[in-house]
Amino acid sequence: MGSAPAQIPTSFGHELRACLRCRLVKTYDQFRESGCENCPFFKMDDDHERVVDCTTPNFNGIISVMDPTRSWAARWLRIGRFVPGCYTLAVSEALPEDLQAAANWVMFLELKKGDGHGNKILETGNHMDENFIAQHI
Amino acid sequence: MARRRDEEDDDVDDEEYEDEEEQLMDDEDYDEDEDVGRGRGGSSTKRRRSDFIDDVAEEDDEEDEDDDDEDFGGGKRHNKAPRVGSQFFDLEAQVDSDEEEEEDEGEDDFIVESGGDLPEEDVGRRMHRRPLPLREDEQEDVEALERSIQARYARSSHTEYDEETTDVEQQALLPSVRDPKLWMVKCAIGRERETAVCLMQKYIDKGSELQIRSVIALDHLKNYIYIEADKEAHVREAVKGLRNIFGTKIMLVPIREMTDVLSVESKAIDLSRDTWVRMKIGTYKGDLAQVVDVDNVRQRVTVKLIPRIDLQALANKLEGREVAKKKAFVPPPRFMNVDEARELHIRVERRRDPMTGDYFENIGGMLFKDGFLYKTVSMKSISAQNIKPTFDELEKFRTPSGNGEGEMVGLSTLFANRKKGHFMKGDAVIVVKGDLKNLKGWVEKVEEENVHIRPEMKGLPKTLAVNEKELCKYFEPGNHVKVVSGTKEGATGMVVKVEQHVLIILSDTTKEHIRVFADDVVESSEVTTGVTKIGEYELHDLVLLDNNSFGVIIRVESEAFQVLKGVPERLEVSLVKLREIKCKIEKKFNVQDRYRNTVSVKDVVRILEGPCKGKQGPVEHIYKGVLFVYDRHHLEHAGFICAKADSCCIVGGSRSNGDRNGDSFSRFGGFKTPPRVPPSPRRFSRGGPPYDSGGRNRGGRGGHDALIGTTVKIRQGPFKGYRGRVVDIKGQSVRVELESQMKVVTVDRNFISDNVVISTPYRDTSRYGMGSETPMHPSRTPLHPYMTPMRDPGATPIHDGMRTPMRDRAWNPYAPMSPPRDNWEEGNPASWGTSPQYHPGSPPSRAYEAPTPGSGWASTPGGNYSEAGTPRDSSLAYANAPSPYTPSTPSGQPMTPSSGSYIPGTPGGQPMTPGTGGLDLMSPVIGADNEGPWFMPDILVNVRKSGDETLGVIQEVLPDGSCKVALGSNGSGDTVIVLPSEMEIVAPRKSDKIKIMGGSLRGVTGKLIGVDGTDGIVRIDDSLDVKILDLVILAKLP
Repeated sequence: MGSAPAQIPTSFGHELRACLRCRLVKTYDQFRESGCENCPFFKMDDDHERVVDCTTPNFNGIISVMDPTRSWAARWLRIGRFVPGCYTLAVSEALPEDLQAAANWVMFLELKKGDGHGNKILETGNHMDENFIAQHI
Repeated sequence: MARRRDEEDDDVDDEEYEDEEEQLMDDEDYDEDEDVGRGRGGSSTKRRRSDFIDDVAEEDDEEDEDDDDEDFGGGKRHNKAPRVGSQFFDLEAQVDSDEEEEEDEGEDDFIVESGGDLPEEDVGRRMHRRPLPLREDEQEDVEALERSIQARYARSSHTEYDEETTDVEQQALLPSVRDPKLWMVKCAIGRERETAVCLMQKYIDKGSELQIRSVIALDHLKNYIYIEADKEAHVREAVKGLRNIFGTKIMLVPIREMTDVLSVESKAIDLSRDTWVRMKIGTYKGDLAQVVDVDNVRQRVTVKLIPRIDLQALANKLEGREVAKKKAFVPPPRFMNVDEARELHIRVERRRDPMTGDYFENIGGMLFKDGFLYKTVSMKSISAQNIKPTFDELEKFRTPSGNGEGEMVGLSTLFANRKKGHFMKGDAVIVVKGDLKNLKGWVEKVEEENVHIRPEMKGLPKTLAVNEKELCKYFEPGNHVKVVSGTKEGATGMVVKVEQHVLIILSDTTKEHIRVFADDVVESSEVTTGVTKIGEYELHDLVLLDNNSFGVIIRVESEAFQVLKGVPERLEVSLVKLREIKCKIEKKFNVQDRYRNTVSVKDVVRILEGPCKGKQGPVEHIYKGVLFVYDRHHLEHAGFICAKADSCCIVGGSRSNGDRNGDSFSRFGGFKTPPRVPPSPRRFSRGGPPYDSGGRNRGGRGGHDALIGTTVKIRQGPFKGYRGRVVDIKGQSVRVELESQMKVVTVDRNFISDNVVISTPYRDTSRYGMGSETPMHPSRTPLHPYMTPMRDPGATPIHDGMRTPMRDRAWNPYAPMSPPRDNWEEGNPASWGTSPQYHPGSPPSRAYEAPTPGSGWASTPGGNYSEAGTPRDSSLAYANAPSPYTPSTPSGQPMTPSSGSYIPGTPGGQPMTPGTGGLDLMSPVIGADNEGPWFMPDILVNVRKSGDETLGVIQEVLPDGSCKVALGSNGSGDTVIVLPSEMEIVAPRKSDKIKIMGGSLRGVTGKLIGVDGTDGIVRIDDSLDVKILDLVILAKLP
């Protein structure tokens, strides 16, 4: 498979949380330790508070996506471009506005900044994330 | 990856054409070297197929390229769009530019490249293709940049575009036959999630050996998981060895139902602070509660409730005095009063909550604050969906804290519970939140969440998009609205006051003020009576309640009744749910009033003491010595008054008179109904004669259908004894409009008898009318019936004597409401205005007391009756007997002698019988009366007294209808009092001076300048106008 799968939840109880952006499901500890594989710019692994902001325990249903690219369900749920892993079908909360804006801006800024220097973007990108997020959150 | 997705999208769209295309492709494959060279090593059939499709499109591209080398890059780009047209449309909706998308696509290939099962060749091709634009096109460096970004984020799988999904787009994702299928597999209960995660782990461990695509565990579906795979065998393979999956049955989910599996009702209503919820179980079941804290991890919620605590029981329990046994009743909600609790020696601890810092009173392990109970319950024991707190409930919640802040929060909660399609185009709205607060406008367009409004204020854009939650419907006083949701649903009324989002409406039905949320209301001109019945209980029914209390239903709400309790001392209204009603009390009781007169249902009584002193009306229900009186003028409680029987007295001619006088009541057996039929039926019979009599006659003689319109008496069944008019006949059942009750009932045809004594007299109307030979007969008609049975009209003076005053009496009451009365009065300054009938409150009997000794049935102490037996008296008795009808004829004068508004407002007295024939029939009668000639001063009459006939001139018309006549052709002789029946108007001849006695010109004088048949040509003195008038209304002047 294309990308390395995300961490697999180590328990199935109330400790589970879902990323508000990509709906990846892991335990709180897992998010805290290694962040979200799909949304690294949230830096959940750096800031434990962020885990609470970016994830929710209120979600409904679990889908283990083995092959996101070829799974109809993943496509239907619009998680077809994420890494394989356990996701939820629906979260009942929205990403806080600031974080949502951050997520959008990260993308946007990098598009602009990387003008012509394809590879650099990858490096500066992370930097940008930090700055931006620090600035906006 | 997106690439893959795109292709599949394409597949979805092209599904129908696929077969065709495939064939086409096959042909072309042979021709195109390039394609062959590229090869397609896709492992799965499906995979290959989609490639084929791409290739078909691409072949075209490449042909184009060959044709136009210069435009190579551009051409390619140009042609690419259509190739993946369908998904591009979708994607374009999401992204800003094509370039991004294309690169996106390219990038995904990159990723896919690293994936094991993508054919190398395919990737190679793309790689080969991509750099070209970079060199050739200026835009390409941008693309490159994007590509890099995409490359990076593709790895981390950004789905920026997924955020704003439109329905159309989602449609494109619907499963097709080539998509993997969903299989339903049984698994251990409670292990669904675990199983899904285990399978994921297994996949990671075993790599692509596992051919399944995904595993779905739904929270709401126990015992099953779904596995997405192409083949059942793959599923079998995957689940092999899993201890949570047993059973070998693997069910295929039909393609149509695949999306249903994934469309989860997300618990969108997140339980956040201040959300209104309802308790699902326990003592507080159904109670409104407000969330104060949510513990998502433990799935528990702390809610604020109005306690339902029986302090005494609690005290007992705490002291261990009495083992709390299951109680049958639930204590009513009441705010906790700490002092009260202390009085009962209940230990109240005051503790500070370490988390919030708030102080709580701890009583027996329960936490209270501000009188509210704070209770932590499982999330499952509350329902948060579609909670619509009623106005009253919210009011209660607001009581102790008393700050308006909570209200706004409640408001937002209300909004959150709003149904979809709440706003409609054209609705007047007001912004309640945000920068535009208080801006008014009209709804132009409604989108998902946003409502486009046309602002009222100038200088603003034509339309503004405002979030639905920031809007509230707006009404102004005077608007007529209909309540479309909530407890008052169905009510209509006029807005009389607007208090932010709360409207005060004057209900059309109850004439009471009701408070509703603006949200629950739409503008409407509809006037509804609302629901009047739930189950077997109907508005105005007397019902027995749970606790042996009883009352009259005075309002029917959507789930409950408002009941006026049978507590005479104070008017107590309580809201009663259907289940709290034990039964309907239908038995008819009789009680005695203060003067020991028997009162039965429908008798008119006046209340002599208590809060409603002076009110009067018909008795609707009697139970346990309590009367429920309906007074139309009583604006509260739907007009119902509850009073003790001994604080009332019966009004008007009732059988009680007979009782008092020792006269046998049975004599009036035939007329038992009279007192019981106060307002409406009288009206009916009054209005009836001229118009209805025909119908009745027909009914009497005619066939079955002719029964319609006749007055019948019900002989059997629940309505036994009632009289009414037949409105409809269907087979064996007859629909009868009861005279005594405002309703139409269906009874068996065999249960009715249509020879109702009271209605028969009308049959003689015409004969009598002719006999009288005066144009007045229409006015006399109603009375006439009562006499017909006795003797020939006009045979004896007595008779005449009686008849006349009665006529007067009967018709006087009309006078006030007939417009021409003014003229009439002008014409008879001395007479009518002073007649007792006009005095509101004067017992009508007075009117005929004077002229006819026998007619004063109401006020005379019954001597008449006792004299029964003498010829004269027998006639009197007859005259008397019917009289209860007559006085009541004029819209029930006896009923409300004291109500000044009653008589002039006769039309107003009729709402009690809306729609009865009587109502309609009445007005024409009035008309007839208006036109009907009358004796007037100055006119020449032919007086017939004791056989002599002399001319005379009327000098004055007396209140009782008789006239002071100066005898002699020019009024020079003696003045005598003449009864109207004893004189006759002298018909004018040509060139006579005349006075007009009827019509709009009543009282006007003129000259008869010609006669044409029955018409007279009259020149009016004042105006010299020439009028053609009926001769009968012309009286000769001396």
